[in-house]
Amino acid sequence: MLTVRGLEVLYGPIRAVRGVDLDVNAGEIVALIGANGAGKTTTIRAIAGLTAFRGEIAYCGRKLRPNAAERNLRAGIALVPEGRGILGRMSVGENLLMGVYCRSDRAAALADIDRMYARFPILDQRRRALASVLSGGEQQLLAIARALLSRPRLLLLDEPSLGLAPKTSDIVFDLIAALRRDGLTVLLVEQKARQTLKFADRAYLLENGRVITSGAAATLANDPRVARAFLGETSAASPAAPSPLADQPVIRPHG
Amino acid sequence: MLLQQLVNGLTLGAVYTLVALSFSLVMGLLAILNIAIGELFMLGGYLGFAVIAAHFPLAAALLIGMGGAALVALVIDKIGYEPLRQAPPITPLLSTIGFSIILQNVVTNVWGSDPLQLPSGLFDRRVHIGSVQIGVMQLVVIGVTVVLVASVALLIQKTAVGRALRAVSENREVARLLGVSADRITLFAFMLSGALAGAAGVLISLHYAAITPYIGVDTGLKAIAVMVIGGTTSVWGALIVGPLIGIAEVMTIAFGGSQMRDFVVYGLMIVTLLLRPQGLLGARSDSGQPV
Ligand SMILES: Nc1ncnc2c1ncn2[C@@H]1O[C@H](COP(=O)(O)OP(=O)(O)OP(=O)(O)O)[C@@H](O)[C@H]1O
Ligand SMILES: [Mg+2]
Repeated sequence: MLTVRGLEVLYGPIRAVRGVDLDVNAGEIVALIGANGAGKTTTIRAIAGLTAFRGEIAYCGRKLRPNAAERNLRAGIALVPEGRGILGRMSVGENLLMGVYCRSDRAAALADIDRMYARFPILDQRRRALASVLSGGEQQLLAIARALLSRPRLLLLDEPSLGLAPKTSDIVFDLIAALRRDGLTVLLVEQKARQTLKFADRAYLLENGRVITSGAAATLANDPRVARAFLGETSAASPAAPSPLADQPVIRPHG
Repeated sequence: MLLQQLVNGLTLGAVYTLVALSFSLVMGLLAILNIAIGELFMLGGYLGFAVIAAHFPLAAALLIGMGGAALVALVIDKIGYEPLRQAPPITPLLSTIGFSIILQNVVTNVWGSDPLQLPSGLFDRRVHIGSVQIGVMQLVVIGVTVVLVASVALLIQKTAVGRALRAVSENREVARLLGVSADRITLFAFMLSGALAGAAGVLISLHYAAITPYIGVDTGLKAIAVMVIGGTTSVWGALIVGPLIGIAEVMTIAFGGSQMRDFVVYGLMIVTLLLRPQGLLGARSDSGQPV
């Protein structure tokens, strides 16, 4: 469904992504994992159409233009960005209305919003509340619900569990697994590698803007390079020696 | 007498409100000050004059004034703002100053630099309510302003375009991810802002039955002051502050002398900047650019 070949993204002199190849097949959950600054966000933003890039990104056999987010959305690619992208000055209801902004089938769109309220009763209860006063978990549900309202076929998620309590991130992960059962294809960026590899089908490990390994999630879960990439999060099954920095706190620039 | 001044002040305040709203539409959305709005206001006035002089009705003058100013606003966006979006905010500010001067020049060349005047007797009918005399044109100014402001409020708060506009102003990237063409919404905001300024120009020039190429400077600056006092990050501050400033100005002229007239407005602006930089309605946490 999605084919990325030789993707390169530059921020001025900084080469954030240096030749990434990746594939996402219909119906899969694919995870993009890697340490801070590895280029995960940059990759997923290029796919969504928020940046210029070199190389090729093809979706359903058609090449995507760089920096064409509005067009990509209408083609069926939705991104829930890093930090959730909630419109905090709008109400929950208005955020959901923004989710159907791209649709011309007004009646069906409004029916979809009602279905979303039925699926997420917490959003229903807070329809009129300003989105900024929701808890982090509620905001993440709102962000995902809003993205789903465009009826995407490929859902991109950038660190949906960022800043959430463990219980709440479990809810979000369960939701993602449920979405796949509904037929959605998912590409997600995650820091919580161990948990992610439990429900993803395949994964790519990024380091310094390159894919250093990829494969079935179950296989990668035991790969020492994965353990090494995540300071502090050492897999019990990993034979790798702990990194010398292992007990230092992970620096979270976006946290 | 007091009541009379109140009505006069409201008329003037209505125009300040429209122009301040015009400024804050662009300011709130893009955090840039489109200085040329003062000249869009002036241009609207001239277009309105031309239409009235050609014996068309007032509604036609309003439409042409608004449409003409909106079209010029389109040009300003496409040439003076869109290509400069990545540049520091001072750059589009400078380019809009350029447009101001060009517009003044164009109007001076077309209509001359001397004030134009409408033949008397055209819009000077008055109605008497008790001891208060109200010009019919004053009623038109206030009425049209109320209708325009209410329409803009409805548009921004209740329609899909309005939501898209608010989305772009809060987070351009997120808006794009939701399928909003941020460039088109920006253009729309520029044109709406231009139309409001143009309407204000038509109204005030017909009210005073006179116009010069330089009225945009004075009114533009005053509208900026109104916007600052109301809060640059809130579109709605202007609705309260506009009428208040209009009344304050008229009262100052009536009871303090006309040499004091600008003292009140700009004095209030400076006091606001010192005591409440975010303005009356501006939220402290909002990250709008200070003017
Ligand atoms: N807007 C930007 N301007 C300049 N450099 C940037 C910009 N955004 C990211 N970078 C740099 O590009 C590299 C990749 O960043 P990116 O955000 O893609 O990493 P990431 O894998 O998502 O990290 P994290 O886990 O912290 O979210 C980093 O070195 C970062 O400093
Ligand atoms: Mg990231």
